[in-house]
Amino acid sequence: MRDRSRGAFIGAFLAPALGVYAFFVIYPFLQAVLFSTYRWRGLSQNKQFVGIENFRNLFSDPVFWQAVKNNLWLLFVAGAIAIAISVGVATGARGKSLLSRSLRGVYLFPQVISLVVVAILWYFVFSPEIGLLNGGLRAIGLDSLAKPWLGQPSTALAAVGIAFVWYVSGFYVMLFAAGIQSIPSEVFEAAELDGAHGFRRFRTVIWPMLWSVKRVAVVYMVINVMNVFALVLLMTRGGPDRKTEVMLTYLYEQAFTNSQFGYATSLAVANFVIIMALSLGILFYFRRSPMEARR
Amino acid sequence: MSKTVCLAGGLLLGVGFVAGCGSGANSSGGSSKELSVAAFQGGYGIDAYEKAAQEFGEMHPGLEVKVEGDPRIWEKLRPRLVAGDPPDLMFPGWGMDHWSLVEEGQLMPLDEALDGPAWGGKGKWRDTFMPEILKLCQKDGKTWMLPYYYMIYGWWYDPGVFAKNGWTPPQTWNELLALCDKIKAKGIAPITFQGQYPYYMIEGMLLPWAVSIGGIEAVDAAQNLEPGAWNSPAMVRAAEMICELRDRGYFQDGATGMSHTESQTQFLNGKAAMLPCGSWLSSEMKDVMPPDAKIEFMMCPRVEGGKGDPTAILIGIEPWMIPKDANNKEMAVELFKYMTSLEKAKEFVETKGTMMAIVGSEKAKLPAVLIKPAEAVNKSKTVWSVQYRMWYPAMQKEIEGAMTSMLNGEITAKQFCDRCEAAAAATRDDPNIPKYKLGS
Repeated sequence: MRDRSRGAFIGAFLAPALGVYAFFVIYPFLQAVLFSTYRWRGLSQNKQFVGIENFRNLFSDPVFWQAVKNNLWLLFVAGAIAIAISVGVATGARGKSLLSRSLRGVYLFPQVISLVVVAILWYFVFSPEIGLLNGGLRAIGLDSLAKPWLGQPSTALAAVGIAFVWYVSGFYVMLFAAGIQSIPSEVFEAAELDGAHGFRRFRTVIWPMLWSVKRVAVVYMVINVMNVFALVLLMTRGGPDRKTEVMLTYLYEQAFTNSQFGYATSLAVANFVIIMALSLGILFYFRRSPMEARR
Repeated sequence: MSKTVCLAGGLLLGVGFVAGCGSGANSSGGSSKELSVAAFQGGYGIDAYEKAAQEFGEMHPGLEVKVEGDPRIWEKLRPRLVAGDPPDLMFPGWGMDHWSLVEEGQLMPLDEALDGPAWGGKGKWRDTFMPEILKLCQKDGKTWMLPYYYMIYGWWYDPGVFAKNGWTPPQTWNELLALCDKIKAKGIAPITFQGQYPYYMIEGMLLPWAVSIGGIEAVDAAQNLEPGAWNSPAMVRAAEMICELRDRGYFQDGATGMSHTESQTQFLNGKAAMLPCGSWLSSEMKDVMPPDAKIEFMMCPRVEGGKGDPTAILIGIEPWMIPKDANNKEMAVELFKYMTSLEKAKEFVETKGTMMAIVGSEKAKLPAVLIKPAEAVNKSKTVWSVQYRMWYPAMQKEIEGAMTSMLNGEITAKQFCDRCEAAAAATRDDPNIPKYKLGS
């Protein structure tokens, strides 16, 4: 009896959240899966069921694979750099020195700026004639190094990656700083007594103890990178010649420029599957705390 | 992960949701007391449409005319079209996939209205439009859209700078090469372009040169997806000419990375001497035009010994249309008749500084920058337009990408043309892409 009323009590509290989740997340998702099996221009109610045709086309679409490749580059290069920087800043911001304190003051700045503004700011950093970067290079006499950073294939993706790292790092610094905060001070004291300082302490004490934070950070980074859209659209529109195309900018093009809504939805489903697979892989990899393993 | 789903859905569901729930019902009812207009809010604003709507409303007591403008109106119109609740008259702008609207049966056929009387009752409405421009709105002889203003494509230069240096605008390819040499020697970039939007180079150089070399048939064949037309000798030569300018260093450094406004600003500030662009240039750039800058239109230099008509001129339109599900089609036709009346057309020419597709509107007092382009249209024996861009957006995107790679020196002229040909073949062979033919 008690159990049942307890269940009803829990259910009553969960129901609104579940309802909202079902309506705004699960329902649209199922609808997206459904739409991906249709040929549909997204301009009228006419839809033609085509089964898996969209997915077959997707897998043989070189632009899709180029976009996936660019997303993965952003994940494994830009994402890894962002996490490395974040861990460094979070560790550095722990102390009481002026540098630590000022780091604590500024690391979240990029996060509070609207992503659209971030994209435009970086666009103007890399702009060929009026850009900050080329302006700086010319000012110190390095004219020959001035390049159309976003317009040439060799540098465009890296330039977008730099803007991405600059934007997202603040969030991960916060995550790791909180993680470091939560390590009990006795552990630090014990490490101190055992003679572990500086990098040694970081490597053998802090890093392993950040296990749960790392797991969250990496999963979150996967989601972040795979959902990159506005930054690329505003900085390069996927150009030059698809060199910075990512899955979602291609999705947008297919839906709104080419009126291939069914195809675009199959891209969304593929994007979801990739994120799901990567996230599950990461959760599996981090499944056991290294601390527990040592016990 | 839920974020993905939201994004996966987000973009699509604006449209998808109404698709699911709208079920085609016309919720707003068939009130004839309301007339709604949705218009692209671009360089010319929407004030002229608002004014016309207001005047039209005053002529029809009890009728409420509402004009809605947005710089991305096409995104707003999609869900409304899917839900069967579109405006009565729409100008969806360059971002709308117009021809898919036709394929989906979302537009009202206009021939009956065009054969009716024009505004004021004199003559047929059809005859008030320039016939070669009205043709751009037709498929299989049926008219689905209506032209309003039209743009003329060509090149621009600063006559002040040219006069000061004793330069004359080049009429031919060889004159162009000789002039570029002189300009470069002065330390000015001979040509800049809107690198982020490669269609400026496709429509400003590639296709006009292909017309000049191989005649209009060469480009007509390409637009009609005839096998081998995109890598025909004329097309390859036109692409080689672009590579030649690139290799001789006649393009401004970094132009491939520039947006339209950036490169146009470079041109207006005298950093580059010539620029391919349409007749909207002066209105687009009026806020950043330096006081001493002057701009003048010139035709893309023709190729000596080419088969093409040297007076051939490239134009473009951004059409208006009436949705099939509009509540008040009759009044929408009337309003657009009023907007395209000679008097209103002249007013638009004078206030907005653009050419209009209305016969006789060129007699209005043209702004100085439009005199040359208008002359060029008057003199031309061949008026043509790049229509495949609107017919086959995916193919256009591939051609644009190839153009960027060629401008960046990644691929040769031949490789560029082969990529274009492959894109054309893919379009031709895809049974799900509706096909179009020029002038049919």
